[in-house]
Amino acid sequence: MVHSAVKQIHGKLQRAFASSSKDTTPLLAQAKLDLIQAGLLVPVGEHREQDLSYARDILEIGAFWSIRVRDVPAFDRYFSQLQTFYTDYQGVLPPSPRQYPLQGLNLIRLLTQNRISDFHTVLESLPPETLQENPFIRHPVNLERWLMEGSYSKVWNAREEAPAAEYRFFVDSLMGTIRNEIASCEEAAYNSLPMADAQTLLFFNNQQDLMQFTQQRGWQPDLIRKVFTFPTKADDKAAEIPSRKIIAQALTCAKELEQIV
Amino acid sequence: MADKDVDMKPLKLDTDVANKDKESKDAAPKKLTPAQEIKANVALIERGVGSMEPRFAHRALRNLTALRKSLTAEAIAQAIDENLVKDGPAAKALKPHLNVSSSMDVDTSTASTQTADLPETEMYLRLLLIHHLLSTPTEQSRKAALTLAKESAAKIQSLNRRTMDPIGAKIWWAYGRAYEVVDPEHLASLRPELLAAQRTAALRRDDDTQAVLINLLLRNYLHYNLFSQADKFVSKTNFPQSAANPQLARNHFYLGRIKAVQLSYTQAHTQFQQAIRRAPPATTAPGFYQAVHKFFIVVELLMGEIPERQMFRHVVLEKPLKPYADIVRAVRAGSLSQFQTTLQTHAAQFTSDCTLTLLSRLRQNVIKTGLRKLSLAYSRISLRDICLKLHLESEEDAEYVVGKAIRDGVIDASIVHERGWMVQKGYEIEGTSNGEGLGVVGQASKAAFNLGGKSRPQGEALVRAEVHTGLMRGYGPEVVDVFGRRIAFCLQLHNESVRAMRYPLNAHRKELVSVQAALEREKELSREVMRGEHDDDDDALGDL
Repeated sequence: MVHSAVKQIHGKLQRAFASSSKDTTPLLAQAKLDLIQAGLLVPVGEHREQDLSYARDILEIGAFWSIRVRDVPAFDRYFSQLQTFYTDYQGVLPPSPRQYPLQGLNLIRLLTQNRISDFHTVLESLPPETLQENPFIRHPVNLERWLMEGSYSKVWNAREEAPAAEYRFFVDSLMGTIRNEIASCEEAAYNSLPMADAQTLLFFNNQQDLMQFTQQRGWQPDLIRKVFTFPTKADDKAAEIPSRKIIAQALTCAKELEQIV
Repeated sequence: MADKDVDMKPLKLDTDVANKDKESKDAAPKKLTPAQEIKANVALIERGVGSMEPRFAHRALRNLTALRKSLTAEAIAQAIDENLVKDGPAAKALKPHLNVSSSMDVDTSTASTQTADLPETEMYLRLLLIHHLLSTPTEQSRKAALTLAKESAAKIQSLNRRTMDPIGAKIWWAYGRAYEVVDPEHLASLRPELLAAQRTAALRRDDDTQAVLINLLLRNYLHYNLFSQADKFVSKTNFPQSAANPQLARNHFYLGRIKAVQLSYTQAHTQFQQAIRRAPPATTAPGFYQAVHKFFIVVELLMGEIPERQMFRHVVLEKPLKPYADIVRAVRAGSLSQFQTTLQTHAAQFTSDCTLTLLSRLRQNVIKTGLRKLSLAYSRISLRDICLKLHLESEEDAEYVVGKAIRDGVIDASIVHERGWMVQKGYEIEGTSNGEGLGVVGQASKAAFNLGGKSRPQGEALVRAEVHTGLMRGYGPEVVDVFGRRIAFCLQLHNESVRAMRYPLNAHRKELVSVQAALEREKELSREVMRGEHDDDDDALGDL
């Protein structure tokens, strides 16, 4: 019986995942094969509630595991497969305790990839009360708000408040994005910046990291005055003449006029 | 539920009875009874089927809204008796839904003399019946309406007649409405059926039905906040541009909502604007008008613009838009605390309008407006004061916020980190250690900075420099774009009007005859003139 195979592998997988042993990856691959054979990976037709919840559990473990092994595209795949279970089988299955953590993770992923419009689309599909009350959802929502208004220090401090261990992975890559954001703001806002202040503003713990980072961005350190000066950008780009566009416009006009006359 | 709000009455009907009388041959008195009106409409539909012209059916459907309100069970029963074959299958199917005693005296002379019913006529009567059943408040009759609508929709699909399309579209609409009224909990289960019907309609090039179905589906998706699915659906379908105005308006509204969620505010803005323009007059469909305006205002705010004050004084809009007016005031003032309290007091209203999440995105706009005001008012201000005035939590935050605003080009200033203040551009002091007094440079006006600050490209080709200065004077590529858009619009309008012209069959013969006659006349005339000239000559000679 195929379904018993799913049940068996589900049990094994759960044990492996709980102890985070290395076996999880091959077990996941096997589990997916079993799911396909049972027609549960992308459920079509009628299935028993128990089988569906096994399938959902396996996919959820897969999603979490892919974050732990830092495989973001795999997370993406698992999550989109889970969508079917979360929306279409909403009435059939009891709600999963892992649903909101996963959705929160997905939101953070969108945030780190700077897919803000997707972020808001997902947000809109969640029930409005969860945005304020659910800790897993509230976290990314707040992060987005702070990022948008520029309160970077709050984002930095919120790093420690991640509601689940898996959030850490994304938060780290978020910090990289933030540093670049801050740096680009500083380039525009300051004429010169003392080195010590730059270190605190960019959240660096030691000067070495700071020097490396600033070198990448091309800031010029003035070691005597202990300040950074920023490379002046040639923002005055000469205006281009969109010749192709104008020609195309003129030609369509000519064609249409020809038809009228 | 927002459904009630967005429910829009189909068309501003023309109650111009006299006009219609001209079309239907019998010159009836000014005010028609519902039964008579139905009869006139049935005549129109039959004529449309006979000549394969959909516009007759459209005309028959035009006064549906007005008719819907005056419908009674008796009127429909009478109409069924008059227009359908007595005791035929069609009449038999409809009669049980009306609990009117069958002892109605029917004048046999007016009863239908046809041997078989036109399916279009039957469907039209079915449509009226569905609307009638929906308007009666009992649960039972609504359920009856749903089953009847379902049955009718299935029948239309199996019949596959092009002359049926306009009526079919209305039936689908009524079906969707009936489903919402009867079973609002399980709207999702309607989706597969609608999708299948939409596919069929697309294959049959049935524009009317397709437009209705696309809108029903979008409404269904948005009801469950499934914006990504709705967006995918939109990208896979083409909304027929020939659709009727109310459907177009709805479509613009739904598209606008999708775009607003995806942060494409400019596109959303255009969509809502179109929806407002296409919508029936405010007094006819106030719910739709209000709903569109709510989103319109929010999107305009998100774009960083302040909506016109006049909008909030409109008779239909004034009351429902009150919370939004408060929000606008808060954003204008740039006061974060005022914004937060307004958002909280009207939270319930905003949730039911589905605008709460959009509005909460406004927070950053409020901060930016506040910063802008400060930067205009002060040439130098300490970060601490900014923090206090904008109700930010810490000075550190303020520094980042200001930095971001500078980078985004919201304000034209710079930060002096050592002193912890923000300095307006043009007021910087040479050498940051010297804090005393303002530089004379600071007197330079902001505008002068904007123009003078940009150095002219040197050693460029002459044309380039010309374009560059042209940009400043307002003759740049943007202007070309704007003109291009206008020209395209005019040309499109021209083409559409050419396409909209109708050429009735064999009508050109009449014209040919008249042209021939005209030619004849012209020849006659020229002959006359010739002769006349000769006469004149003769006369002139004679005079001499």
